[in-house]
Amino acid sequence: MMSSYFKMIKRWDIIIVALLILISFLPFAIFSAVQAKTTTSDVKNRVATVTLDNKQIRKIKLTGNTRTFQFTVHSGDGDENVIEVRKNQIRIKSANCPDQNCVLVGYISKPGETIVCLPHHLVIEVKSDTEATQDIIVSS
Amino acid sequence: MTKNQLNAYIALLAAQAVIISLFENAIPFPFAVAPGAKLGLANIITCMALYTLSTKDTVKVVTIRLILATLLGGTISTFMYSAAGIVLSFLGMWLVKKLGPERVSLIGVSATGAILHNVGQLIVASWVAQTWSVLLYLPVLSFAGILAGIAIGIVANYLLNHVEKLQRYRYLRETNE
Repeated sequence: MMSSYFKMIKRWDIIIVALLILISFLPFAIFSAVQAKTTTSDVKNRVATVTLDNKQIRKIKLTGNTRTFQFTVHSGDGDENVIEVRKNQIRIKSANCPDQNCVLVGYISKPGETIVCLPHHLVIEVKSDTEATQDIIVSS
Repeated sequence: MTKNQLNAYIALLAAQAVIISLFENAIPFPFAVAPGAKLGLANIITCMALYTLSTKDTVKVVTIRLILATLLGGTISTFMYSAAGIVLSFLGMWLVKKLGPERVSLIGVSATGAILHNVGQLIVASWVAQTWSVLLYLPVLSFAGILAGIAIGIVANYLLNHVEKLQRYRYLRETNE
């Protein structure tokens, strides 16, 4: 009974299935390669931006920061997020949002990482220095 | 095959594909691990069509299936997802089948179809979400897709070899080429 299954399979079937498995891991490989590149090249100057309702309300330099401090973001209706910066990491320490997803993310430090608190329209994003300097020029 | 027979056969295949995909939508998804993974049972019909009809008629079957299944149980967004999946998987299956029957069996053809269906859907999903990181989900989906694809290939193989009409149509198709 089993041998009739094997007779069905031709050589190229195996080649194709193996190829398909390899291809499906391709995006994974590309992404990790890109990620590795950005983290090594942009490691010099990282900033965290805190955005509320699409408006940037705070920018914190993460690289070279040795202090630990926290601040609270109020977004109306009694919504509060306590944000803590520790050395070169940032996290939402506590929030009174219903789902607590943002707190569960924990610390982020790499460029491209984000914490989103959807109910409070709050986004924290870690960026590399290039965008940051441009922002400073625009705002001054 | 006369013209009427051909039309009836195309309509039959399309109708079966529509029913199968509606039936599949009705099955609640069993795995919590890979939401969005589907068995792709309607792929059986595409395999049948590829092996028993000319390319032009296969396209007809696939298009009718896509439109009817959307009208009967879909929305515009599901149409976009399934259209991308179906077009990509059809192209892939057609190319793989070009390798010839002595090199590749239905198993390879249907596994290609299953995975490319996932790829198509994920590309639309990443376009909708505006981020390519959705594609990182591909390995999970394609693992399920390969298993389902192989099973469906075996099923389709049995159908092709044991249903008399299908055998005859396949013979007709191969002698026509």
